[in-house]
Amino acid sequence: MNAEALHARWSPDAGEHEHVVFLVEGMHCANCARSIERAIGVLPGVDSVRVNGATARAAVDWRGRGGTRLAQILAAVRGAGFTPVPLAGQAATAEFQRERRTALKRVGLASLGMMQAMMYLTALYGASDIDASMAQLMRIAGMIVVTPVLFYSGAPYLSGAWRDLSRRRLGMDVPVAIALLLAWIPSVWNTLRGAGEVYFDSVGMFIFFLSAGRFVEMNLRHRTLGSGEALARSLPAEVTRIAADGARTRIGVATLAAGDTFLVSKGGVVAVDAVLAPQMAPDSRASLDESLITGESAAVVRAHGEQIRSGSVNLGAPLFLSATAAVADSTLASMVRLLERAQATRPRMALAADRVASWFVVLILLLAAVTAIAWWPIDPTRAFAAVLAVLVVTCPCALSLATPVAIAAATSRLTRLGVLVTRADAIERLARADTVVFDKTGTLTAGGAIVTDVEPLSDLPRERVLAIAAALEKHSAHPLAAAFRAFEQANLPAQSVREMEGAGIEGMVQGVRWRLGRRDFAADTPGDSADDAGLFLGSGTELAACIRIGTPLRPEARDAVDSLRGMGLRVIIASGDSREAVAQVAAALGIDEAHSRLDPAAKIALVRGLEANGRRVFVIGDGINDGPVLASAHVSCAMGQGSAIAQSASDLLLIHENLAVLPQTIGSARAALRVVRQNLGWALFYNLAAVPLAAFGLVPPWLAALGMSLSSLGVVLNARRLAGSGGTA
Amino acid sequence: MSISYLLVLIALAALGGAIWALFWAIDSGQYDDLESQGDVPLEDEDPPDKIAKG
Repeated sequence: MNAEALHARWSPDAGEHEHVVFLVEGMHCANCARSIERAIGVLPGVDSVRVNGATARAAVDWRGRGGTRLAQILAAVRGAGFTPVPLAGQAATAEFQRERRTALKRVGLASLGMMQAMMYLTALYGASDIDASMAQLMRIAGMIVVTPVLFYSGAPYLSGAWRDLSRRRLGMDVPVAIALLLAWIPSVWNTLRGAGEVYFDSVGMFIFFLSAGRFVEMNLRHRTLGSGEALARSLPAEVTRIAADGARTRIGVATLAAGDTFLVSKGGVVAVDAVLAPQMAPDSRASLDESLITGESAAVVRAHGEQIRSGSVNLGAPLFLSATAAVADSTLASMVRLLERAQATRPRMALAADRVASWFVVLILLLAAVTAIAWWPIDPTRAFAAVLAVLVVTCPCALSLATPVAIAAATSRLTRLGVLVTRADAIERLARADTVVFDKTGTLTAGGAIVTDVEPLSDLPRERVLAIAAALEKHSAHPLAAAFRAFEQANLPAQSVREMEGAGIEGMVQGVRWRLGRRDFAADTPGDSADDAGLFLGSGTELAACIRIGTPLRPEARDAVDSLRGMGLRVIIASGDSREAVAQVAAALGIDEAHSRLDPAAKIALVRGLEANGRRVFVIGDGINDGPVLASAHVSCAMGQGSAIAQSASDLLLIHENLAVLPQTIGSARAALRVVRQNLGWALFYNLAAVPLAAFGLVPPWLAALGMSLSSLGVVLNARRLAGSGGTA
Repeated sequence: MSISYLLVLIALAALGGAIWALFWAIDSGQYDDLESQGDVPLEDEDPPDKIAKG
């Protein structure tokens, strides 16, 4: 979705008739939907409310000048105990609705027209005893019924063919349009002169099957979209704007402009990129959690003049902020655009199928010409029917649909698993992957750092070591400091604490000087300097203990790794961490291939090395330093809470960070590839079988229309199996 | 036979009516949401008028 679409998510409070669609969180049953409808329905000026319990969407039409503002509607939803959430790409939803309505009308008209035309025209089938004027009446009735079907329901094919021809290309609409016109024009001619064959029923039937096939395909496509909603949910719907005179108003987030001052309460999400407003005291600091954007869960502190990114959560006192960008230009919006990219590009496989299809079209036209030339000397009237049958029966729809429908169905399935596909090619690549490379921190492990082990190097007891370390770390802003918070003791304060950049922290605890940090900082005793897996506590001359810090393994990691290996994938860990930390995780997961101390370049070298040996590597990572390797791998996946760089570099996004879905993800991708092959095979087989029959005049035009449509429908239904709960095909 | 002409005319008029009704139903949003309306009978009390209009 583009910037306009993002703006349009909440229409500003102006104008006579307003329409808004939003998601409602917290609905469980039909009665929830009714209570929301009631809550909104009682507001003045509200014309209609529709809440769909199944899709969690609420649609409200109201008169803005009736005194009700969007804010009041949202407040009513909140008052009923639910959370309204802006719908990303609402403009796209409106577009879908229009498209769906038009497609329905086309199918509806074609089906009514087809049935009527058949009723009239079967009277002419092989009937010699029919009265000439009655036959003429039936022809005219058929023409009246089918002509609107051709020009309304068949419009996409006619205009598509015209577009292709005017660009000097041959698309799959070309033979369809030729067949339609080739059947319709002589039928009209024969009707006007009152004699000869008419094919109105075949035209109606062909169009009906074509538009029914497209309708099914469209529904599948619409189901796969809407994944951008999940990301955009993190954006607040409304903000409190502070006017120059201090007056506060709740406004839709899209209305907020750069330079506006707004309020963010404690625990609130910053909606747009901003800086501290002049109202804040000069020495005030904002304490923020930027984990949504950066993946770094340690709090960050921002002073006046420093940029605060949208998506940050305010951890401290309420903040007055001054917006520096509108919502569409802010950081969070760029994440939503990642999805736009996936939806805007066509997968390579589908492009290849399109190329094949365009050659196929040339072949069909040649075949039709050959059929015409061969039949002409034998029987000109049968030549016409045979040409028509060849054109219709070989319609390359099935060939062209084979790949996109399978990919769309698999995308829809992955979205429900919590895996967002951000690049069109991802599914095909994923299906071919045979090696999985995991980053460790933030990917296999999760959450804040904890103390995993205390190794005593003196007779100081474990509790004492941790209490002293906690007292020192209390003064540190380092992310690892959080690991000690549980061991703090109130009666053990640290004084004159100094933090040495890159070395550690030093301070006095109960009159004793302690140093916590690198081994050579904690004590000047010689030792194995490579042993840097932990933090050392020492007096400056002697070591007291070594504290090992780690992040806990995700509980589902073991099962996920086992299933991946069960699927024949080679599993490797590539981490920037120390050997001990990596070895520990590798042992817990039963992985024997673990690489430690890798910087981004080394990770890329590892992946390149594997790919040089013919492996197709699937990389899963989360941090900023994983960006390059994610971008260079065959296929890659970023964690939902990971850094924006990692996310934009990768093909997939694991929204809920649940590693357990990875085996299913790869399984679905493989199933999709299998379905693509089945579909292409079926389309090819069908055409090879049907063309000779049609060319020899053994297939009447109506049967050709049926055959072509069933082959397309078969392809679509085969792909639909992927979207179901099974995931295997 | 002239009755046939009339019958065909009536059939065509009925078809026109059916198409008009279908298009009207689609345009007024009756096919937009085929799921949630099925829950209406499960409901405890009658919704206010405004909802019915939607």
